[in-house]
Amino acid sequence: MLYFINNYCNIMYYSSLAAIRRAFPPSDKKGFHMPRDASTEKPLVELVNVTKIYPPDVVAAEDVSLRIYKGEILFLTGTSGAGKTTLIKLICCLETPTRGLIEVAGRNLSRISSAGVQRMRQKIGVAYQDFRLLDKQTVLQNIAMAMEVTYASPKLIRFRVEELLELLNLSDKRDKLAGELSRGEQQRVALARAAANGPSLLLADEPTGNLDPVATELVINLFRYLNERNGTTIVVATHDESIYADTEYRVMSLSKGQLSAHPSRAPHQIELFEA
Amino acid sequence: MRFLAYILRQTGKNLRQTWGTQIMTLLTVTLSVLIFAFFFLIYTNMIRASERLGNDVRLIVYLDQEVPEQMRPEFEKKIRDFAPVEKIVFVSRTEAFAKLSAQLGKEKDVLNDLGPDFLPPSIEVYPLKTLNDLTKISQFSDFLLTLPHAAKVQSGSDWLRRFGYFTNLLRVVVLLSAGLLIISMTFIISYTLRLTVLSRQGELEVLRLLGATSAYIRLPLLLEGMLQGLLGSSLGLAALYSLYQWIANRFSGPGFLKLFDITFFPPEITAGILLTSIVLCTAGSLFSIRRFIRI
Ligand SMILES: Nc1ncnc2c1ncn2[C@@H]1O[C@H](COP(=O)(O)OP(=O)(O)OP(=O)(O)O)[C@@H](O)[C@H]1O
Ligand SMILES: [Mg+2]
Repeated sequence: MLYFINNYCNIMYYSSLAAIRRAFPPSDKKGFHMPRDASTEKPLVELVNVTKIYPPDVVAAEDVSLRIYKGEILFLTGTSGAGKTTLIKLICCLETPTRGLIEVAGRNLSRISSAGVQRMRQKIGVAYQDFRLLDKQTVLQNIAMAMEVTYASPKLIRFRVEELLELLNLSDKRDKLAGELSRGEQQRVALARAAANGPSLLLADEPTGNLDPVATELVINLFRYLNERNGTTIVVATHDESIYADTEYRVMSLSKGQLSAHPSRAPHQIELFEA
Repeated sequence: MRFLAYILRQTGKNLRQTWGTQIMTLLTVTLSVLIFAFFFLIYTNMIRASERLGNDVRLIVYLDQEVPEQMRPEFEKKIRDFAPVEKIVFVSRTEAFAKLSAQLGKEKDVLNDLGPDFLPPSIEVYPLKTLNDLTKISQFSDFLLTLPHAAKVQSGSDWLRRFGYFTNLLRVVVLLSAGLLIISMTFIISYTLRLTVLSRQGELEVLRLLGATSAYIRLPLLLEGMLQGLLGSSLGLAALYSLYQWIANRFSGPGFLKLFDITFFPPEITAGILLTSIVLCTAGSLFSIRRFIRI
């Protein structure tokens, strides 16, 4: 049985890689596993002593400082209610911090205009934990929407959507209404929408929560590919230990709103983080 | 270019999603433009007609006795002393008879039995154009009645007065229908847009998350209002024009309606009505957008 799954995964992996290559032609921006030189490089996302308190007194993030560098993949882990979603929402301006500073691509989010926020969101792909799909529209329309707001050409939209669907094994669902899909399928549609614009930052909130091992593998491959070929910076919030258990990427752990390097990680990562 | 295509597509999407309401709105706009333009058309024609009437205001003093030639300057002096006058014409019995038979033309045989004396002599007084006030005219006609041998003064002022009342009434109606136009357009449009916005609430929310600019979200709604204004007022004016054509054909030719020789709006007024409707509808949508979309 395991052998079968493994074999199937491999087939899916190779056929999907071809699709990825077509969808996202390689660029010179190469991804990397670890921040190259944390002391000199400007981070893509920087949180400085960020605290978020939901009224009346729920502390969802407490004094969080975090730097996310261009081209890295970061896993944010933590138990339910630890504050993972809150952190992601803070980065994409869906929530404002109670205290502290957040910078994305060098811009202070507390001083950004609403037009600026919208422009920024076009470059950040977010796969929400609750998907935020339009149930009464088709899978195709849902994904295309993300590209339409950037006035992409219909040809490019069509092409990207087809490739992403193939990639996530959803091709036969293209014209189905999003509301009629299973949770796992919806989850992949949400991810496809987040990746559609070829964003420079991809925030995935619990992207594998409803997926079987095969689909999980597809998603991880998509991340890896986007990261290595396009240099996409990816933040994955998850409590699915299987996807970060033996990863070479950075893993941070949240607990009751407090951030720390994941206990299973080597100490040098802690240094890097604190540098 | 692509930007425009997207905006237009988005507008089409909105219209399709709430087409039932859209048609009702269109009809409301059409109807209010029709009502307003109808009264306004009558009003402008009335104004024109009364100007034409005012141009040939003439007071006729009928006398029970001819004014002898040598008395005429005295009469003239009396009249001119009371009010400035353009000209004064004395009409004797025979002149009146000649005029009438000339007017009758072929039918003048009917006068044969009556004899040349049956019409009274008269003085036709043409006041200056400055005498356009109804009260002044009636004062003048009261004065003329005090002239020696004056039997009756025909000034048409009663008639003019009624005409004036009617014009005033019409002005009120025009103002009322203009108010109706403004209210119905702005309110109906903003109400319809509210429905559009509500029916697309979820979609707008997601668009916001995906980074849609405010132009991407607002312009289609603004365009929707503009389109309603343009289409609605065009339809309303077209309806009025066909009504006008129908009436013009039906009552054309000589007759009492000659007085109301109606003409349609000149192009600049037509354009003005179109433009005003578009502006009003756009304002209505703007109002709605500002109120219901926070982005
Ligand atoms: N809008 C909100 N208003 C009030 N409290 C909130 C709100 N959103 C989240 N919280 C609280 O903040 C804390 C952190 O929530 P968050 O959604 O960030 O957790 P999470 O790590 O994403 O959990 P999960 O793994 O279940 O998704 C929780 O205690 C939650 O109840
Ligand atoms: Mg969460």
